[in-house]
Amino acid sequence: MLPADCSRRLVTELQGALDACAQRQLQLEQSLRVCRRLLRAWEPTGTRALKPPPGPETNEEDPLPACTPSPQDLKELEFLTQALEKAVRVRRGITKAGERDKAPSLKSRSIVTSSGTTASAPPQSPGQAGGHASDTRPTKGLRQTTVPAKGHPERRLLSVGDRTRVGMGARAPRPGAGLRDQQMAPSAAPQAPEAFTLKEKGHLLRLPAAFRKAASQNSSLWAQLSSTQTSDSMDAAAAKTQFLQNMQRASGGPQPRLSAVEVEAEAGRLRKACSLLRLRMREELSAAPMDWMQEYRCLLTLEGLQAMVGQCLHRLQELRAAVAEQPPRPCPVGRPPGASPFCGGRAEPAWSPQLLVYSSTQELQTLAALKLRVAVLDQQIHLEKVLMAELLPLVSATQPRGPPWLALCRAVHSLLCEGGARVLTILRDEPAV
Amino acid sequence: MGRRRQRVDPAAGARAGALPEAIAALSRSLPSGPSPEIFRRAKFDRPEATSALWQLLFRVLSPLPAGNALASLALEVQARLVKSALCSQGYPRLALAQLPEDGSQGSRELLLALSWLLARGPVPEQMLAQARVPLGDEMTVCQCEALASPGPPAPHMEAEGPVDVRHVQWLMGKLRFRWRQLVSSQQEQCALLSKIHLYTRGCHSDQSLSHLSVTEAEMLRDPEGGQQLLRTLERENQRLEAVLAWRRSELVFWRWMDTVLGTCAPEVPAAASQPTFLPWVPEHGGGELDLVVRELQALEEELRAAAERRRAAWEAKAGGCGRGPEWSAARRASREAVEKELGALQQCWEQDGGPAQPHGPHRLVRREDGAAGDRDLRAAVVIRTLRSQEACLEAVLRRLQGQCRQELARLVGALPGLIWIPPPGR
Repeated sequence: MLPADCSRRLVTELQGALDACAQRQLQLEQSLRVCRRLLRAWEPTGTRALKPPPGPETNEEDPLPACTPSPQDLKELEFLTQALEKAVRVRRGITKAGERDKAPSLKSRSIVTSSGTTASAPPQSPGQAGGHASDTRPTKGLRQTTVPAKGHPERRLLSVGDRTRVGMGARAPRPGAGLRDQQMAPSAAPQAPEAFTLKEKGHLLRLPAAFRKAASQNSSLWAQLSSTQTSDSMDAAAAKTQFLQNMQRASGGPQPRLSAVEVEAEAGRLRKACSLLRLRMREELSAAPMDWMQEYRCLLTLEGLQAMVGQCLHRLQELRAAVAEQPPRPCPVGRPPGASPFCGGRAEPAWSPQLLVYSSTQELQTLAALKLRVAVLDQQIHLEKVLMAELLPLVSATQPRGPPWLALCRAVHSLLCEGGARVLTILRDEPAV
Repeated sequence: MGRRRQRVDPAAGARAGALPEAIAALSRSLPSGPSPEIFRRAKFDRPEATSALWQLLFRVLSPLPAGNALASLALEVQARLVKSALCSQGYPRLALAQLPEDGSQGSRELLLALSWLLARGPVPEQMLAQARVPLGDEMTVCQCEALASPGPPAPHMEAEGPVDVRHVQWLMGKLRFRWRQLVSSQQEQCALLSKIHLYTRGCHSDQSLSHLSVTEAEMLRDPEGGQQLLRTLERENQRLEAVLAWRRSELVFWRWMDTVLGTCAPEVPAAASQPTFLPWVPEHGGGELDLVVRELQALEEELRAAAERRRAAWEAKAGGCGRGPEWSAARRASREAVEKELGALQQCWEQDGGPAQPHGPHRLVRREDGAAGDRDLRAAVVIRTLRSQEACLEAVLRRLQGQCRQELARLVGALPGLIWIPPPGR
């Protein structure tokens, strides 16, 4: 067993990394849900406005059109619908060719829903449409108890342009409750046109006018903000500095010493310094000097680097002393908005986002994969350092060097030298006596 | 709300409404900002203005975007967190730490604290940027929050007692699995995103964008959600206009704040300060510094050894050379060149990361030809940068692992009668 404080530190560190990954995974999955939904056949706005007639089973359902059933609900309803339709089929016997034809499309539709693969979505839509119209007829009685998410005669598809216009403004014509009873009427006969898919009709979409106006206003306001930011009025800046100085003078706190935030920022800068210096050292050591002049420069550089490292260490000692002498101050709850530890902190972010242009799926995937790889490597390196600091002293300090110690060595080797991926083997070589 | 009297502050601008306008703009530009009346009351240290100011300071200082969970914290808790955050930023006034946390008094002190924050940084802009509605599909180029740990760990994770090293191995394995999961999820997301961009090309009113983003497509698919988006966007526009108005008129506000500061008695430097101590906040500071110190010390060792070797070799070789004037001139030139180079190197970490490094989110745009304007980034360029970063980091990791291997070999090498079979190489 590892000592308690060591365990705590290691577990905290690893758990922190796990939590960060879990958070990112959650974000990705949310995004994936949205994307998959977009690439499937879109449900026309008409159906969403329709709810089953007020009845005992609809009390818990929200009658307001503003409430869109979540994908989860829709999925469950699909399964329910499917089960009910299967029951009808079984009752009517399997001789009806129509049902048999429709069943696979219905099944595969729900498979599409549950697995979310986009490849099967587009070919489904004609099948879907065909499937719905005739499905509604046999399940006439049953439909009324389920939310008619699909296959409703009201699903006449407005032309895409109309849809978007209508979508932003008034609700699609919402049939009154009276229409419920007629939902299985022969008006189902005119085959509903194919459902809208992004693949086929995506290029016909148009953003609504109100949104366009608001968006352009938004970007111009942000642009104005960026320009006023850079050309901050001299008077205002002077007034602010004056105020801060007055505050400092009128305050009882000791003169500006380093705040915890600043210490952190400085530590980050020195960490960066360390890696840059090390990189430079590598370059110098690996270069083969041609003549004495180069050799001399190489020597000077190395000595210069050594001096710089000394300066950094000195600065760090100062920081440590400053941190230690302050009374136990409460640590920051988190970073104030806008400050980032890695990107220099004070870099002025461009308030409105700039563009990042890519030209193919492959390129985008490469870009994202590399970004993730760099972040993971960062995490891995940090963990490696923490593990080294905790475990190596333990290995050297543990006495006696018996089998438990060997087990520890094996584990430590795996963690530190192989990133936890592989484990070595230790063989006891008994002397043959 | 009381009769609003227009007090013409002689120090303010010539127009009689300048100060109330400025304060009104400020209050509109902050999220759920208090009414201008609160500011006025705070100048006179009225108690009723206190709780609103505590809450506003909490919103400003809280690192996480406003969520319901945060807003529902009790006033005492919010007040304590505000004190802690201000303290860690180096807020100079002592009176703040001594304020009661129930919101019964101290509104003038809180007004001063708010102004201190406003003077130090572009607070309204930063808050707006945090809560911005992303209309496009965004990707950050810098590594700011790539896999940042989500704030302080949940309290239940603390103090679990000693664990076996196998538990650590298990956690490591779990982490590696999560990394793999992230990779595959992300690949899928990129593929879908790219498809959506492809299918909606030519739809956008903005020619430079040419296709819709996921947010925009989602808005078309779901009109109610779209309405909400539109409303949020309009609210953001209103706040943007308020911020611009605030920037235009803030001079008057600063002059007014000077008078407010004047009404406070100057503080006496305390002999021993009374810090507020939050027990559940995780400790950082010390550990971080230690790691850096260790790294730098190791580097210093290496450099010292290498420099000594080279110096000895140099002295042996060049010691016998002549000491003519051209020789010393050449040496001086070399020295100056090296100093300049190293000075430039030092700038790399002393300065703020270099202005060329793009920061913040970028909107993804798919273009078949990959053409990009001056301010736009091209994916190919970013990929190159990332590849070199990756190579660098991999080298660092390999070096660390090599160090560990050596150290372990040294520690176990002394034991006879054991054969160490390393795992099969990659």
